[in-house]
Amino acid sequence: MKIIYPVFSLLFLGLACPGKPKISFNHEVLPILSKQGCSQGSCHGAPHGKGHFRLSLRAFDPSLDSHTIFREELGRRINPIEPSKSLLLLKPTMAIAHEGGQRLKVDSFEYNLIRDWIREGCPTPEDEAKCVKLEILPGGSKLLKWPEFNLQLSARATFSDGSSRDVTRLAVFTTSDENVAVVTPAGKVTGKNRGQAAILVRYLEQVQSIHITFSRKPEGFAWKAPAPVNYIDEKVLAKLRLLHYAPSPLISDSTFVRRIHLDLTGLLPKTAVVQTFLSDDAKDKRSQLIDRLLDSPDYAKYWARKWGDLLRLSRKQIGEGAVYKFADWLEQSIATNQSYDEFARDLLTAKGSSLLNPEANFIRTTINAEDAMESTSQLFLGSRIQCAKCHNHPFERWTQDNYYGLTAFFARTKTKKLGKSEETFVWNAKEGEVKHPVSGKHLPPWVPDTGPFELPPDKDRRQVFAEWLTKPGNPFFAKVEVNRIWASLMGIGIVEPFDDFRDTNPPSNEPLLEALAKDFVDSGFNRRDLIRKIVNSNAYQTSAESNEFNRDDTRFFSFRQPRRLEAEQLVDALGQVTGKPMKFPGVPNTVKAVHLPAPDLGQKNRSMIGDIEFLKVFGQPERQTVCSCERAGDAGLGQALQLFNGKLFNSMLTAGDSLFRKSLSAKKPLSEIVENLHLSALSRFPNEKEKAIALAYLEKATDKGKALEDLCWAILNRNEFLFNH
Amino acid sequence: MRRFFTFLSACILGHQVHPDPVSFSKDLAPILLTKCQSCHGPKKAKGKYRVDTFLRAMDKGASDQPGFTPRNLDESEVYYRLITDDKDERMPSEGDPLSKEQISLFKRWIEEGSTFDGEQGASLASIIPPPVHPKSPEKYSSKIPIQALAYGADGDELFAGGYHEITVWNPKDGKLLRRIGNIGERSYAIDLSPNGHLLAVAGGAPGLYGEVRLLDTANGNLLDVLARTPDVALDARFSPDGTKLATASTDGRIRVFEQREQEWEILKTFANHSDWVNAVTWSSDGKRLASASRDKTAKVFDLDSGKRVVTFSGHSGPVNGVAFHPDGKQVYSASDDKLLLLWRIEDGKKIRDVHRFGGSVHKILSLGRSVFISSNDKVAYEYSLGDGRQRHQFKGHEDWALSIAFDSLNKLVASSGFNGRVHIWNQTDAKAIHSFFALPGYEVVEPTEISSGKSLKEN
Repeated sequence: MKIIYPVFSLLFLGLACPGKPKISFNHEVLPILSKQGCSQGSCHGAPHGKGHFRLSLRAFDPSLDSHTIFREELGRRINPIEPSKSLLLLKPTMAIAHEGGQRLKVDSFEYNLIRDWIREGCPTPEDEAKCVKLEILPGGSKLLKWPEFNLQLSARATFSDGSSRDVTRLAVFTTSDENVAVVTPAGKVTGKNRGQAAILVRYLEQVQSIHITFSRKPEGFAWKAPAPVNYIDEKVLAKLRLLHYAPSPLISDSTFVRRIHLDLTGLLPKTAVVQTFLSDDAKDKRSQLIDRLLDSPDYAKYWARKWGDLLRLSRKQIGEGAVYKFADWLEQSIATNQSYDEFARDLLTAKGSSLLNPEANFIRTTINAEDAMESTSQLFLGSRIQCAKCHNHPFERWTQDNYYGLTAFFARTKTKKLGKSEETFVWNAKEGEVKHPVSGKHLPPWVPDTGPFELPPDKDRRQVFAEWLTKPGNPFFAKVEVNRIWASLMGIGIVEPFDDFRDTNPPSNEPLLEALAKDFVDSGFNRRDLIRKIVNSNAYQTSAESNEFNRDDTRFFSFRQPRRLEAEQLVDALGQVTGKPMKFPGVPNTVKAVHLPAPDLGQKNRSMIGDIEFLKVFGQPERQTVCSCERAGDAGLGQALQLFNGKLFNSMLTAGDSLFRKSLSAKKPLSEIVENLHLSALSRFPNEKEKAIALAYLEKATDKGKALEDLCWAILNRNEFLFNH
Repeated sequence: MRRFFTFLSACILGHQVHPDPVSFSKDLAPILLTKCQSCHGPKKAKGKYRVDTFLRAMDKGASDQPGFTPRNLDESEVYYRLITDDKDERMPSEGDPLSKEQISLFKRWIEEGSTFDGEQGASLASIIPPPVHPKSPEKYSSKIPIQALAYGADGDELFAGGYHEITVWNPKDGKLLRRIGNIGERSYAIDLSPNGHLLAVAGGAPGLYGEVRLLDTANGNLLDVLARTPDVALDARFSPDGTKLATASTDGRIRVFEQREQEWEILKTFANHSDWVNAVTWSSDGKRLASASRDKTAKVFDLDSGKRVVTFSGHSGPVNGVAFHPDGKQVYSASDDKLLLLWRIEDGKKIRDVHRFGGSVHKILSLGRSVFISSNDKVAYEYSLGDGRQRHQFKGHEDWALSIAFDSLNKLVASSGFNGRVHIWNQTDAKAIHSFFALPGYEVVEPTEISSGKSLKEN
């Protein structure tokens, strides 16, 4: 009997373990831990884990995880003899209190899978096939019409050994907008409201998404819209009609004249300009005004400042001398309507002295090859790729390999400060490679869709990248700029945030984005033409007032999204209305805030600190990053206080030589002063009621100057003034 | 009427289901310990409420309602939290509610007057009656790591940590001699008293309980259960004269027990470490203790004064083992940072790196004039205790070497691995004598044998 036993057990074991384990650690166990949330960033996937238990973020590093689960703390988490008593199962089922809550139910599919893996002895083979493809079924974009708001998705993975399997229960499903659609862990999508959502499916390193539009007709809805002016209107209206959003009516001349000035020049229209425009009878006076503004220096200065924000133009970053030179270069680029592809190539391939070739300051502001790549990706690919530096991007297809592959284009870019601290020299070295932090291997330059490049050693890598980037077929380049311009003018991007392009953040109107991008490419990347087309459209000239059929629309352009005036716009507007413009250190007194080449010029004396503070409070960026998010557009208590009785605002109102006091001294009639205040601040005449209230208040007052201050204060605190609407 | 009904139902329930009054220590403490204490205990006190002692559990937290009020369910916050349907308020939060049986225990206990049947101020883990552990499996279905290993006094027996047992092997031929049951799920350390009569076993089940069991070596009879904690005990060492026992636990405490007649009573507790205490050891005069902790420090304590003498912070990873230098003025310590260091007690300064290993270092055993060390680099080592010179490397482990034991009589070294295999070595020439799985009934073709079989074929 003693002899038989081992033979017998051998046979038995032989049958039980036919070579390959039944449960795959890499393909099943780790995806389950990811799906149940164990390895997410806020739990055990945090850099130091939780409760001394650390998993790699979303199972990014299987060998580390196998060590942690099976071996760390001397195998504490696994009970090989009674698998269901393993700490790895007792905790997430809450048999032992678990801070992360219940993550597994006893005897569920997920639980049994992990338990059986432990029963098999926790096999962690290193040579398992890699997942090379993930498909969502049904694929493509979907339109769901109420009441059919449900859709069951399934996920299928293909592996490097050619095998494929259904992974619906192992993959993670997430929605881009919970107000529009929710998705269960089993992949069932349910629409909540009309609108559009992306469902992201993640399995191991693969990410896929599907875009679903939910359409529902509200009661009493009837389609009514002005005739399209151009293809922009056609695309916008098609989407609105599909979703049953009624567009708001078009704006009046006075709203238009204010809006177009703010959007194209950053400044309020002068009183005389408003009056002339309002009394003009020409049918095409709006497009005439647009043309005039697009040819004005104010347009070039204002749009150059937008790039100044993104390209980190500040004294701190590049020195005062370079700031002026680079700001001039940008202004020239806009003023001469330099084609956008050439603009990008100039920035990306610049070499030499940062003072002689100001565009070289773009490279100069980057700290190293990785930073240069990250900045370039954000500016020109609309991609916030930084996450992929340390791990595969959780919401995107960018992998760590991609990150370092892109970085390789900048690996040979060198900068050196010359004797004078203001001047930096940028050049390309003959060698320099990028090492993958995990594998330690050198990575060749790589781009999406094309793959790795094999380049001769003397080839300028940045040149190669710039050529790839700006060639007309590039899927990112044109769209990113078109969207940036659109967002500048419309208040919200077709992709929003407008520099965050990814599968999980789909455009609200893809045909519109495609059409704009195509037009932009066909026009030879003509930025001014594109702007002209957008602001001539009805979509641009739609009122900011919503109606009962579009109130819940936040992103399909059925009405204008009002925006608070930018910090610089606000300071200039206050200065213009009061006739007491703010003065800035380091520049001539006549320079407007929207034209400042950098936010930190000149030596600030102590008395100016409060004034500079005003700009900061209203969100002027310091220009530390290439992210548009640095400019804050939100509202806050500090802003309310500044507008209530802040030092700067107060000094403008109480100045003895303000516009309205001068008018008063010149014995102008009170009604004219009231009218001019409205024209100047709101680009319109006061209505009868406003006029009556104002005049009654003024006439009653003994100190007319003080009373005018009050009136002016009241007008400048109206949302109609504070917003670009 | 309502009261009467409650009374009536209590009577009915009492008679039908559970005739004895509910015991706080026996019935409720285990539930509070495993289901509540991790959020309402010494480490975290959510809602300013703790359950780690009876008095604290009775007291009120942030809600101003006492946890329990005798004979008053309405003013017992815990009871409300157990039964409420409000998902935001129900406890345990986020998990399933307690079972009906468990909730009815709380209910009856409150109705019966919420009496306490334990020692005042004692922790929950220590008042729960020591468990009678389940039987160990007749045959082991899987390999388990063996982290506790010790030779018997005359070298005839080798004690190894098993699954709910201590297994006793003949070191000469690897045959199983006997099995000592009623032991916690896994054992982290075994120590024999200097005369060999007593066996101390430190262990427990991860996340569930920790304890040190004292056994009669000769027959395996249970003598006492000490150092009971909510998570495992990691080490236990008898003092050189055998009258005291020091234990190291995951609650960060070192406890020293003293034998008074038949009873072992707590003499001192050192709570200076901020994380698990992985190991503890005695100075040769029995006056001092050295400890190694996951908090990356090693410390020395003086028993008479009850004070910490020094903290050594020279390691960059958890410290796993410590040993006193024979002069009593220096200490060896070894860590996950792969280093064996020698440092001075006087100022806590490092004297030198003694050795850099190929992996984490687990245990240090100092015996006679040697220090024995087991490491993740699959090698067991012997160093001269006096000058720190390496004497031998015992090579042949297939996996991490976790624990090590020395038979000074027969000059034999035993070491055990993560894969459950014990290797016996000749001390004088470091030759491998033989090896065996210290896992009763475990039979399997070893992967190494399969692969060597393969390579034979290929050759």
